[in-house]
Amino acid sequence: MKFKRVFYVLSALLILPNWVNAKAIPEQAVMDIEFTIPTVEASIYARPYVAVWIEDKQRQPVRTIQLWVGEDEWLKDLRSWWRKVGRNDRAVVDAVTSATRPVGQYRFSWDGLDQQGKRVEQGDYTFYVEVVREHGGRNYLRQKIQLAEQDFKLSLQPTEETGLINLHYHIQ
Amino acid sequence: MLSKKISTVAVACAMLGGLTLSQVANAHPRWIMPSHFAISKEGGDWLAFDITASHGTFVLDKPAGAENARIVMPDGRQERPDAVLRGKRRSVFDFHFTEEGTHRVQVNNFPSYVTHYKAGKRDTQKRLRASKVDRAALLPEGARDVISTLFYTRAETYITVGKPSEKPFPLEGTYLELKPETNPADIVATEPVRFQLFFNGKPQVGVKAEITRDGTLYRNQQEQIDVVTDEQGFIEFTPEVAGRYLLKATHKAPIADNPLADNMNVSVHLTFEAVLP
Repeated sequence: MKFKRVFYVLSALLILPNWVNAKAIPEQAVMDIEFTIPTVEASIYARPYVAVWIEDKQRQPVRTIQLWVGEDEWLKDLRSWWRKVGRNDRAVVDAVTSATRPVGQYRFSWDGLDQQGKRVEQGDYTFYVEVVREHGGRNYLRQKIQLAEQDFKLSLQPTEETGLINLHYHIQ
Repeated sequence: MLSKKISTVAVACAMLGGLTLSQVANAHPRWIMPSHFAISKEGGDWLAFDITASHGTFVLDKPAGAENARIVMPDGRQERPDAVLRGKRRSVFDFHFTEEGTHRVQVNNFPSYVTHYKAGKRDTQKRLRASKVDRAALLPEGARDVISTLFYTRAETYITVGKPSEKPFPLEGTYLELKPETNPADIVATEPVRFQLFFNGKPQVGVKAEITRDGTLYRNQQEQIDVVTDEQGFIEFTPEVAGRYLLKATHKAPIADNPLADNMNVSVHLTFEAVLP
């Protein structure tokens, strides 16, 4: 019994320093995202399916920021997002899914919280965008980002299915 | 006159029928092609399956028994197809998938027996569709080097509704079986895949497998991946390109104390997709 208690205290001491070191990003930290669905000349044009999400250093999904699909039958066509995020957690789908959008410019923000509503730790992350269009193509974009106490701006160059994407991480 | 005509036609039909049957059983690999491998629709969805036997990877040729298809549900129980149709080039079935997890769809049929022998002055190699028991009545006088072989093929594919199951299905412990160490729902182009092959329930060394990507008609080389199982029955390979693949693994072994055959020639034909990375 006594031994067990000592063991617990020791393990707590071992875990504690790590826990203290893992510092969350500042409370006011926000990442603004400017996103463009480009005009595509096509004989049959359908609004694209879009997923925007964040993964951590271990490539585990942290938060799905936007999901424009409409009907859940087509979720699987966002191949990477479905395999890494969607199929494992139906609650995420229900929480973020919304209708597809027409050509145009969009702005949205990420509040720095993970899917469970907890502020993420400072460190290396990857920003992902997957866009798939019926009768059209697929683009899968990745951008490494470092979330800490420094502001940054990054741009992802246009592809066939995406226009310019701007990221602006700032401590308000 | 008329009856003679009819009987001629009947004989011709019987011959043709017999020919088709034996070709399906012996030579043409049987495989399954699902309309989709993953379902994301809440509450489930319908999928369609083509079952055919052919010499081309995913080229429709001869209808091969959708009636015998079974769907192994995530909890291990088996269901039958909902609607079956037999055409000239393929047989088809539909199934309504509603349960979350990984399903196995299989068309395993029954063991078939072929007897090979030599006959005549020139030692001509001949064969019969017969087991050790049936062959006595059918072999010509003076038949030599008589060997009967049991053939059994598991044609299978995996379908996943929502989240994949964590554990592979238990083995049956008979013939050749493939245990997908990598869940087929997690096969991604450029990433390694690991499968384990078992013969009569035990990991089998030296099983040869060929893995071929769809579209062989439209390229000059088969570009197949050839692998052989290690001591623990494992194969590992990396599909470099996303697409639909057919894995054909075969094992040949002598069998002792079997009243029907001297040898076994058993296979697994697995259809899977490698998704885009």
